[in-house]
Amino acid sequence: MLSLHGLSKAFGSTLAVDRLDLEVPRGSFFGFVGPNGAGKTTTLSMATGLLRPDAGTAHVMGHDVWSDTVRAKQLVGVLPDGLRLFDRLTGMQLICYSGLLRGMDRALVVERAHELLGALGLQDDGGTLVVDYSAGMTKKISLACALIHAPRLLVLDEPFEGVDPISTSTIRQILQGYAASGGTVILSSHVMDLIQRLCDRVAVVAAGQIRAVGTLDQVRSGMSLEERFVDLVGGATDVGEGLAWLRSSSD
Amino acid sequence: MVALIVGLKWQLLRNGLRRSTPQLVGLILGGLYGLSVLVVVATGLITLRFAVPSDAARTVVIIGGSALTLGWAVFPVIAYGIDETLDPARFATFAVPRRQLVLGLLVSSLVSVPAAVTTILGLATVITWSRSVLAVLVAPVAAAVAVLTCVALSRVTSTAFSSMSQRRRGREAVPVLVLLLSVGLGVVGSSIMKHLSTPGLLPHVADVLGWTPLGLAWAAPADIVDGATGTGLLRLLLAVIVLAAALLVWDLLLRSALENPRGATSERAVTRDAGLGWFARMPATPAGAVAARSLTSWRRDPRYISSVALMLLLPLGLLLPPLSGGSNLWSLAMAPTAGFLLGWSMHNDIAYDGTAFWTHVATGVSGRADRIGRLAPTAMAASALLPAYATLGCALTGRWSLWPALLGVGVGFLLTGFGVANVMSALKPYPVPGPGENPFGAPPGSSALTVVIQAVAGAAVFVLNLPLVAIGIGALTGRVWMGWLCLGLAVVLGSGALGLGTWWGARIYERRAPDLLADLARIR
Repeated sequence: MLSLHGLSKAFGSTLAVDRLDLEVPRGSFFGFVGPNGAGKTTTLSMATGLLRPDAGTAHVMGHDVWSDTVRAKQLVGVLPDGLRLFDRLTGMQLICYSGLLRGMDRALVVERAHELLGALGLQDDGGTLVVDYSAGMTKKISLACALIHAPRLLVLDEPFEGVDPISTSTIRQILQGYAASGGTVILSSHVMDLIQRLCDRVAVVAAGQIRAVGTLDQVRSGMSLEERFVDLVGGATDVGEGLAWLRSSSD
Repeated sequence: MVALIVGLKWQLLRNGLRRSTPQLVGLILGGLYGLSVLVVVATGLITLRFAVPSDAARTVVIIGGSALTLGWAVFPVIAYGIDETLDPARFATFAVPRRQLVLGLLVSSLVSVPAAVTTILGLATVITWSRSVLAVLVAPVAAAVAVLTCVALSRVTSTAFSSMSQRRRGREAVPVLVLLLSVGLGVVGSSIMKHLSTPGLLPHVADVLGWTPLGLAWAAPADIVDGATGTGLLRLLLAVIVLAAALLVWDLLLRSALENPRGATSERAVTRDAGLGWFARMPATPAGAVAARSLTSWRRDPRYISSVALMLLLPLGLLLPPLSGGSNLWSLAMAPTAGFLLGWSMHNDIAYDGTAFWTHVATGVSGRADRIGRLAPTAMAASALLPAYATLGCALTGRWSLWPALLGVGVGFLLTGFGVANVMSALKPYPVPGPGENPFGAPPGSSALTVVIQAVAGAAVFVLNLPLVAIGIGALTGRVWMGWLCLGLAVVLGSGALGLGTWWGARIYERRAPDLLADLARIR
């Protein structure tokens, strides 16, 4: 579905992504985990055509993201992290904008937009400017924008960051339904517990390279994902007996 | 606590200098310039000590002092967001008693370059008024009151503003306020300039200002020197009351800022708009969608509102010479100027999207749709403005035969401007204020690139239109057919430039779209 080969990107002298290879099979629910600065966002941006790689290729269902651009982009829905939205539009207008930019029919876009707003619990907020949305509502409206053209592959960068438990559960249900009906999802997250419950395949990335990849059970190898993650990435500080003054029982 | 707050301000001032060498050099040059101005003004004030009679000193000190005080009160409005170093809301989480906070913030406000300059000028007036024993006693008190009033007023304005700008509505009202303020100042300034030669006007202005809160403290010592001791002391008393009132207002504002940091509990002023707005009215194509999005942003984003207002006002500025008795011919330039500004202004349009531009990259929208859609708001504004300005120009001069020429040059400038902009904005965006930032502020570290790109775009538009301008000037000499030729050529050449620019710009766009996004992320 999505295959990345030898992807590399350097920002100045820092190598953000270093000859990264990744295969995301069709129909999989793929978790992409790694510590801060591991190159997750950089990798996903290069895979979706938002960031030009220094080297390497990215293919979506055999279409090269960087040469067969239009065809590849039609197949993908993107929810990037850390980029703005056209937040002076209302939620409804923003979803419609994403659809119309892809050349879809207006009646179809409006119909789907209403359905998406309903499914995401935003039916009363479609007329509100996105700039007035909470963080969770903003994530949900971004997801709606990524879904409007019924993509075959969903690439979601931190879709659960700053989202409350109720919205998280809504988004989860939508994604699980999407995956169950044959869609492919790749999402990045810090929350191991969530990845563990949602995904059937996982890749652990650190310092721009894949440390482990495979089905959830292969990667976990008997531990919890969090233990395995800390084990693979390393560098967790043992607090031990420090910060004694912070323990209120010490006085 | 007061010492701690003042120390914090001092530290911030020093750290501000530590950033980079070019910045430091700029600061030193600016500082030297400011210092030389300060020396000249202070020397002038000291020289006034020996002026006979003392009327000149009175007029100069009161008008100058009032202007300085007004400047202090108004500056935070224009420069809001620039100096938030000691934003009172940032103290909200620390349990600082408010009395100490007020005192600390007031004293720390004195630790700044403008405050130092004002203090030196205040001290110089003490020398100006050292003409009698009583005056020497009163002048330092009055100067201290005047300087403190300056600082207190600026605190009032900036605190009021920072609580106002917590809310989006408030923030968006700011540019309009600034615009009204500058227009008001411009009108007052120009009428003062006009009447400057009227004898006896300035002393009269000084007399009036001397009884306003702005001038009270500056006027008090002048009365003492003139022998009107009672009046002088009364003014001093009133000045102290003004200062106390300013401090009281500030204290109240601070209380609300501290108890309600970040406007947390204030009602959310939410804009609701149930329909699709422009998205229902524009064609349901990618280009139509970009156009609808641009039109919606122009209506709702203050950064566009303020540039629209400027583009409306600048051509109207050409009405000033005729209105103040100058030549009517200036008003003929309105349509061409408007055409130039409207077309040229689009050359950095993509920068206003910021990183939201990713939507265009991710959806793979074609370069042509992106290029053409963006022109919609300006094109719609121009289709109303250009004929209106051309008509106004003809009406004022009575030369109706010039109408086609005026419209022609305007349309030529507009369309070639669009063409150039379609290429330029796909090449290199330069930094603009982000959404919600001061629309009049320039982001730091951008000036050189900005100036170069603006100049290149402007020069390109101008050179491409030289033939049209030449024919237009021909029409000015009375050859009516040249006016129609000008209009016809403008449509033909302009459409050609627009078509070529769109084609070329679309090619560049399609090659560079991800790189444009990277540029936009970097300048943000």
